Amino acid sequence: MKNLLQSELRKLIYLRSNWLLLLWSGLFAALGTVAPILVFNSESRGMGMGFSGTNTPEGINAVFANAAGGYLFALIMGILIMTNEFRHGTAVGTFLVTPKRSTVLVAKLIAAAIAGLVVQVFSFLIATSAGVITLGFFEPHAPVTSELLWKIFRASVLSGIVLGIVGVGLGALVKNQIAAVTGAVIWTLIVEGLVVAFVESVGKYLPAGAITGLVDLDFGSNDFNFTIENYLSPLMATLVLLGYAALFSLVAVRTTLRRDLD
Amino acid sequence: MSSVKIEFSHLSKQYKDVLAVSDFSAQVISGRVTGFLGPNGAGKSTALRCLLGLVTPTGGSALVNGGPYSSLHDPIKQVGAVLDSRGFHPGLTAKQNLKVMASASGIDFARIDVVLKLVELEDATNKRTKGFSLGMKQRLSLAIAMLGDPEILVLDEPANGLDPFGIVWLREFVTKLAAEGRTILVSSHQLAEMQNTVNDVLIINKGKVVAQGSIDEIRQGKTLEEAFLALTARRSA
Repeated sequence: MKNLLQSELRKLIYLRSNWLLLLWSGLFAALGTVAPILVFNSESRGMGMGFSGTNTPEGINAVFANAAGGYLFALIMGILIMTNEFRHGTAVGTFLVTPKRSTVLVAKLIAAAIAGLVVQVFSFLIATSAGVITLGFFEPHAPVTSELLWKIFRASVLSGIVLGIVGVGLGALVKNQIAAVTGAVIWTLIVEGLVVAFVESVGKYLPAGAITGLVDLDFGSNDFNFTIENYLSPLMATLVLLGYAALFSLVAVRTTLRRDLD
Repeated sequence: MSSVKIEFSHLSKQYKDVLAVSDFSAQVISGRVTGFLGPNGAGKSTALRCLLGLVTPTGGSALVNGGPYSSLHDPIKQVGAVLDSRGFHPGLTAKQNLKVMASASGIDFARIDVVLKLVELEDATNKRTKGFSLGMKQRLSLAIAMLGDPEILVLDEPANGLDPFGIVWLREFVTKLAAEGRTILVSSHQLAEMQNTVNDVLIINKGKVVAQGSIDEIRQGKTLEEAFLALTARRSA
């Protein structure tokens, strides 16, 4: 297992596209913290969508919660770990070296969890740094507390690990790389966002809803009538996310064990 | 003393409406080069993929060293395989691709330079494989197959798409490996090439064994091409 995991990590490290994806995750998350600060402090706050300004703790919460928003890239990383094998035909070589496919899958799931973790920790660091620097131009503002950062870091770490694993399961199921990545982007950026925002009773159980519950911050948005009480508790959110990880791990193992490699 | 290294026993593989391999039984003897011949769609690749555990047979068995491929300890140290000219990531260099494979099986990285020299790819070590010609890709595939220094080699159409220089190089490469006493099962359409390279011949058509024996037994005084056409045409009629 140790050899196999090392091999999977080498694939991750050697590929330039993975480093580019990591960079994009940081930029995406940084945009998530910088943009609302600019909007909240603009002369016309029509784009503020009812959120408080950065002079209130709720406004600061709304800004920095986005530092955990790079999980889409953890999901894509997981998808690529699996679908690259089919796209480039390397699955044959991988399974010739290790014919026990369940062992290969476990190594891939661990590698994806590590990759997702790295993506989210990197995104968190870039996004919070960018947010703090940008806030410096808009004094006075409410404090960025260590409790706030801890909650977001916690959510970043867990979401990175879980979404990396989910990505492997999705990649094993769909196999076609473009279809899997496109589907993941549409789901994460459009479908899931709408369900979480407008159908909280269902949305709170989706990964984005669970991550919102895990972040456990009140944003004080009057227009959206958002209140963190409508979401899962951090403990329940953690269990739901771990459930997704377990479900998609099972999907990955079941689909890959049965598949003929022609 | 020779022994059976590869054994297909009543192997069958059904894909939805297509019976790719049907009650296929054959043996490959140690230390010999066996040519695996058959028309397109005869079932050669399916049989080899069943042998290597990549495709699950519908019936029968395909064994290496007396057991299924999946039961082998450190399989790439026992069996090297070239199944197509892909099998490595185009975004990685030749050496990186080999490192990925070597680290998965705990093979010392010093072996990488040895196999790259063996396939004469030393000058392309640090080039990304997406820029490789088909010939270079085939050589890299062979380097990967040789990484574990296996006694058995399974080569599926290794000459496909190669230019005359590549074909000559491949012939010399296989001859050299055979001279070292390795067991080689090689499928190919290059009948003239096979005639000069193989010791034994295994012919498959429509998923079934048509003929098996030494090259002289199969040829019976004719060229391998004539014998092949006669045997496969007779069965196809």
